[in-house]
Amino acid sequence: MRKQLPPEMLARDSRFVRTSIMDQILDPRNRKISERTIGPAKLAPGRPASADRARNLMHGIFTGEIQALEGAGRTMFDFDETEAPFALKLDMARQCWDEARHVEISIKLGEWMGTEIGEFTEATFLYEAACAPDPVLRLCGVNRALEGLAIDVFNTMKEFGDVSGDPVLEFCEDWMLADEVTHVKMGSDWLRRLTADDPERLERALDFQRTVDKLFSLGGFRGETDENPVHLARKLREMAGFSTTEIDEIAELSELARAEGKAAVEAAGSA
Amino acid sequence: MSDPFKPRPAFAPWDRRELPGLFDVEESARRVGAYKWIEMRLFEALGGWIATVPELDVKMILGRHCYHHAWHAELFDKRLPELREMNTDRLCAPANDAMEAFVEALHEPDAPELTIEKLVGVFRVLMPRKIAAYTFHLNGTSRVTDAPTQRSLEFILQDEWNDWREGEMLLQSLIDTPEELERAIRRQHELEALVVRAGGITGPGTIGTTTEVEGAGV
Ligand SMILES: [Fe+2]
Ligand SMILES: [Fe+2]
Repeated sequence: MRKQLPPEMLARDSRFVRTSIMDQILDPRNRKISERTIGPAKLAPGRPASADRARNLMHGIFTGEIQALEGAGRTMFDFDETEAPFALKLDMARQCWDEARHVEISIKLGEWMGTEIGEFTEATFLYEAACAPDPVLRLCGVNRALEGLAIDVFNTMKEFGDVSGDPVLEFCEDWMLADEVTHVKMGSDWLRRLTADDPERLERALDFQRTVDKLFSLGGFRGETDENPVHLARKLREMAGFSTTEIDEIAELSELARAEGKAAVEAAGSA
Repeated sequence: MSDPFKPRPAFAPWDRRELPGLFDVEESARRVGAYKWIEMRLFEALGGWIATVPELDVKMILGRHCYHHAWHAELFDKRLPELREMNTDRLCAPANDAMEAFVEALHEPDAPELTIEKLVGVFRVLMPRKIAAYTFHLNGTSRVTDAPTQRSLEFILQDEWNDWREGEMLLQSLIDTPEELERAIRRQHELEALVVRAGGITGPGTIGTTTEVEGAGV
């Protein structure tokens, strides 16, 4: 088996349809959608198409869980013990089991919400962050940045389950949240341990995390106002080892990404 | 009321544990080191394959099993210092060159069309070998002196039985045509030949036979 499996080689059955995240963000139709005045972007039951949007988001969670499973698995295989210590491999194995359960939960929850596998497309951005050549970068890009995003998404979905009267959604998201906080904490702990004597490596890893964080604030997808469909879960992030400064920084990056996303959509629309 | 000070036998009549066992401390440590090595190579392979199998159910099952074998490796790793092996990496090694060659061959399949080959290697060749080696250790070691290894092996064997059964059922569900059956048999034959040459996962004598195997590179 080859080391370092590129994203285009991820194996999927015929139901899955692949797309690129940039194509999704730069879709010229987004401009028309953003021009419509249909109230705040926050996921709320009263908002038009909120059920469809929740289903779409659920499908995104499902494909993200598959990639988180695959990424953790590859980190065990791609590195020897000088690069990824035995205890880190054990943590990655535990994460594999957790992510496998999340895939199971997502499939059942998707069915419950009325969607099916392949109804929406799959972008491989999570797995792409899991292809970094340094395990510390993977831990920052996946465990801290993207699983941090997962905390925000799951918390938003849990709240949506609560306000829309869907106890199954609320129940499932709460369980997945518990695991994700552990995974993010795992990333924070290993970042500290592996870079204790290497400040440059630490800086490279944090830089990679910032890039991923900004990219996946997805033109305003995540933030702290009603204009952001997904909300930054400050309390849970603190439990997962983020400092207040780090959380503030993510909030700023998200705001920046929202402004840049808007400009990109306008530019794509006028081109 | 019975007299609490009346001497009782130290061992209850139903306690049939005996001394000595088949392995001294050194041999027990050597075997445990080989077990840790094979569990590591197995969980790494399962982890690597998750991204390469298109079947969603197989993907999820590999993710779950991968953790089980990592936990086994952790249990063996913790046992080694108790067997006077402070450098746990030293004994975490293949039993011989043939065993290493077997693992290399086991890891080989990569393409998404080769799920049968991947699973046959794990569930029809390696896991039966592990179950055999662990059972031999469990039955042969002194249940008094080596009780901690025995306790770990009992937990591990429970996982092995469950996972082997699940993997075998996956294979039965994937093998539909004469061609697929042929692929499964061919793969099993190739890998069995290598593991026979190695003499089992701890080398010749893995399950008590002491015949030296020619060409195992011991
Ligand atoms: Fe997850
Ligand atoms: Fe996770």
